Amino acid sequence: MRIEYVIKRLFYCFLAFFVGISITFVILHLMPGDYISHLLINIESTISPEASEAFKHKFGLDKSLTEQYFIYIDNLLQGDWGYSFEYGVPILNIVVEKLRWTLILLIPATLLSLLIGVFIGAYFGWKSGSKLDLSVLNVMIFIRAIPSYWWALMFVLIFGFYLGLFPLGGYMGIGVLESGTDYLDILHHSLLPMITLTLCSIPGNYYLMRNSMLLTVGEDYIITARGKGLSEKDILFKHTVKNAMLPMVTMITLELVFMISGSVFIETIFSWPGMGMLMIDAMNARDLPLLQGIFLMDTLLIIIANFTADMLYSCIDPRVKVGE
Amino acid sequence: MSLLRIIGLKAYFPTQDGIVKAVNTVDLEIEKNERVGLIGETGCGKTVLGFAIMRLLQPSTNIEGRIMYNGKDLLKLSEEEMRKIRGKEIAMIFQNPPTFLNPVLKIGYQIAESTQLHQGLDKKAAKEKAVGMLEAVKIPLSSKRVSEYPHQFSGGMKERAMIAMGLACDPSLIIADEPTKGLDITIKMQIVKLMKEVTRQGSMLFITHDLGVAAEICDNIAVMYAGELVEYAKTEDIFKNPMHPYTRGFLNSLPSRGLKQIRGISPSLIDLPSGCRFHPRCDHIEEVCKNWHPEMVECDKGHYVRCLQYG
Repeated sequence: MRIEYVIKRLFYCFLAFFVGISITFVILHLMPGDYISHLLINIESTISPEASEAFKHKFGLDKSLTEQYFIYIDNLLQGDWGYSFEYGVPILNIVVEKLRWTLILLIPATLLSLLIGVFIGAYFGWKSGSKLDLSVLNVMIFIRAIPSYWWALMFVLIFGFYLGLFPLGGYMGIGVLESGTDYLDILHHSLLPMITLTLCSIPGNYYLMRNSMLLTVGEDYIITARGKGLSEKDILFKHTVKNAMLPMVTMITLELVFMISGSVFIETIFSWPGMGMLMIDAMNARDLPLLQGIFLMDTLLIIIANFTADMLYSCIDPRVKVGE
Repeated sequence: MSLLRIIGLKAYFPTQDGIVKAVNTVDLEIEKNERVGLIGETGCGKTVLGFAIMRLLQPSTNIEGRIMYNGKDLLKLSEEEMRKIRGKEIAMIFQNPPTFLNPVLKIGYQIAESTQLHQGLDKKAAKEKAVGMLEAVKIPLSSKRVSEYPHQFSGGMKERAMIAMGLACDPSLIIADEPTKGLDITIKMQIVKLMKEVTRQGSMLFITHDLGVAAEICDNIAVMYAGELVEYAKTEDIFKNPMHPYTRGFLNSLPSRGLKQIRGISPSLIDLPSGCRFHPRCDHIEEVCKNWHPEMVECDKGHYVRCLQYG
């Protein structure tokens, strides 16, 4: 039964992946402009039509879109993500390199925002209705209502520019040219974007946890627990939080989507050399293969997270084990 | 001294539509080793009375009166002191186990929890005790079943597990809230037999709307209508010689006595009828019933009735 469930989930993952890359392919080719016309702006008339034709032929751009699509899928299945127009190197290499930098921000930010959001949400879901609860709720709405790039700009302005506590952007100080890689320096540079990303993701986790707590607190089995003479603390931790956490597992996946899109803005503002900034560059250069590669990686990440959440869910909630 | 003595208990809930007077001046005594049945229609305040004894009602509830347990007034105890009584001295068996059992915790854990808390058993001993409890409520393969989750249990087994949970710490008083509700007839009779067996020592307040079940288990029966007791007597007296028109109507509505229903519907607990609460549905109504609220009077030895016919 368990194995069947895993296979079924894996099949859906594959389906989602396939649909995802197909939609990305279509949308990217709907974009106006192409790499050549982007280059032409810079080098104007120095490029000959023959060279342009040769370029198109080399990358297979003279073939029909349908043909390109099938070639792309065929290559993908063989593990070939294609070449970037702009960098002239295999896309997988660039994406993996940039992904490392993004994950430096994304992993701590996801974990921290989950931890803080769940904790605050659980506490105020338990003690709902107090004045403090309402104030926290309003603060959370405020944080969420303002886009992440505004927070990023404000933080750069206040903590970077006025207070001088953090660098204004980038990922390493100029000093590394002499002393070599300094991990503390990287940490120092990463702190502000990480905090911004964390802050903007806390409210989502908080809302869900608080709501879930409110629902769980009203359940009959909480009365049973109280009827056994358990202390409020035991009821909270042993009977409520675990049940209220169930929807959170699914939320982590959704949150990751939010974080990946949020990191595009934040990386751009902080000049952080991750996937987000790579995406903006590739977009501007109309480097379609690279864009396709970036979205492919995002799709993969989300699908893996989703799959993990599904598997995790069946571990936390005994009722899912049957694989219904 | 009786084990539990409820004096003038009132429980009112403030709601948007008005005050729900769920329990209205109830006096009730339960002796050691006595099993009292509390019967009445759905929504007459039976469960609220049970919850009030356990002090499990929402904090916004207005509770008046006294609930004397072993000489202590439960309503005056601190939350801390009350916690030591719940589950240990007074335990409740809740109705509807599917929602009153925690779906993500193992049955064994849920039974062991209160023994760990009140009897100081360690994890291993508590689990062994849980296996023993499941055996006592006749769940087969109890050593395996103890590690299962509620959704793996059938309806009747969940009810048994619920009973095992209530009995785990040998409480001196058990409040059983409709433990046979929603079970089919064969399983219901098994549960009744079990309840009778496991509560041979100890007292019980048995809340039900099922007269047949109450007759099987209880020594005395209190009939509740619209938040107050209207008749109290030995079980056989209730069946042989029901005095209150409501009790008679209730008995006549049993399938074995012809399924005759009482006319009208039970009153809203927000807007209670004047005078005798039962007068709008009563067949023996006189003018005075509409304005005069009768008191409980002892008509026979140990047989109390709240009806003007007998006052």
